[in-house]
Amino acid sequence: MAEHPEVSEPEDARAARASVSAVAAEHPAVSHNVAVTGGAASLTQPDAGAAEQVRHHHRERAVVGDRWIARVLRVGAVVSGGMFVLSLGLEAMPQSERVHVAIDLLRKGAASLLLVTPVARLAVAGTLLGLRGEWRYMAMAAGVLGLLAVAVGAGIQA
Amino acid sequence: MTVLLLIAVGALAGTLGAMLGIGGGIVLVPALVLGFDIPLEQAIPASLMCVVASSCSAAAGYVHKHLSDIRLGLSLELATVMGAIAGGMVAAMVAPAMVAVVFGLFTLYVALQMLLLRSPHQEPAALDDYAPTNYPLGISGSFVAGGLSSLLGVGGGPLKVPLMAYGMHVPFKVASATSNLMIGVTGAASVAAYALRGHLKLALVSPLVVGVLGGAYVGSRLMPRVPTAVLKRLFAVVLLVVAGQMLWKGGEGLWPSILK
Repeated sequence: MAEHPEVSEPEDARAARASVSAVAAEHPAVSHNVAVTGGAASLTQPDAGAAEQVRHHHRERAVVGDRWIARVLRVGAVVSGGMFVLSLGLEAMPQSERVHVAIDLLRKGAASLLLVTPVARLAVAGTLLGLRGEWRYMAMAAGVLGLLAVAVGAGIQA
Repeated sequence: MTVLLLIAVGALAGTLGAMLGIGGGIVLVPALVLGFDIPLEQAIPASLMCVVASSCSAAAGYVHKHLSDIRLGLSLELATVMGAIAGGMVAAMVAPAMVAVVFGLFTLYVALQMLLLRSPHQEPAALDDYAPTNYPLGISGSFVAGGLSSLLGVGGGPLKVPLMAYGMHVPFKVASATSNLMIGVTGAASVAAYALRGHLKLALVSPLVVGVLGGAYVGSRLMPRVPTAVLKRLFAVVLLVVAGQMLWKGGEGLWPSILK
């Protein structure tokens, strides 16, 4: 997103471009699934500001979407990891029936949460892509979920 | 003491798995079987659980940094799961030992090529400056990877990372990060199948997962800083180990019939 000061552009487009630059600066390694192509050259067109705003909007939505997916994964990993750590800590305590039950419950809960996390990530990714109008990828996510359900039901190791 | 050792092994596997996009099963299964005398039928589901943990922990960072290509991941995931189902359906009709030998030789070829030859294509200067090519190759390769995963119990990472990096011209780090994202879903389905059969031992899994989560976090922070050339060399070494394991596994299955 190189700056081209000689190109006249509306105030809101300039603001949008500044915001995109800020996002790009914050996320230097933006992969093609987020990057929205188009440079300052297109700003010579009359509707450049609007086009840039649309690009900015798409990009910000993609960035926000990725953050949601990352959040789902992180919460799943941290909470299940915490439960596993707690269960290991309980093992060091004097053993009793209640402690055993607590350890068992914590481990089962942690394992279930960990197994659900990637599936939830897939569901969130599919939903977010669907909200962006990318039906093909939403259908793919739904297809993967459906096939996984079939595989687990049939006892096949995917 | 054993718990601490298991955490340490998990941390090592998590770091390596997160950096290379292979999950870490390649370290865990031999370590558990040879180092801790754990039966293979318990080591494999525990290792798969660690692959899921590694994927969640590492992919959270990679997705946040936009290193993982979500669209590419979805496309290849679909092919992988279809391949896994197909593999499960034909498992009774093919000899796993023969498949292991073929896969071992192929992995050996890829590893030697990565180690000895210079990459035929230039890595893009920036990680956003690429567009995946050769989708038919990527999808068919992922289908094969899914089938092999189902037939041989190997993760798809060692096959999918070179497939994306060399076959689809995706930057190596993006390929590794995308593989990390993908292996979680397929790993979770595999663990679920084992858990339904009662093969998942949570007392073994707990310290391993704790180590893997920590290791994968460290690996995901390290990977963007490590030069791509170093990652490629490391990956090639890991591929050599996979090749060795597969050839050993295939040889074990084939020798008795040859000797007869």
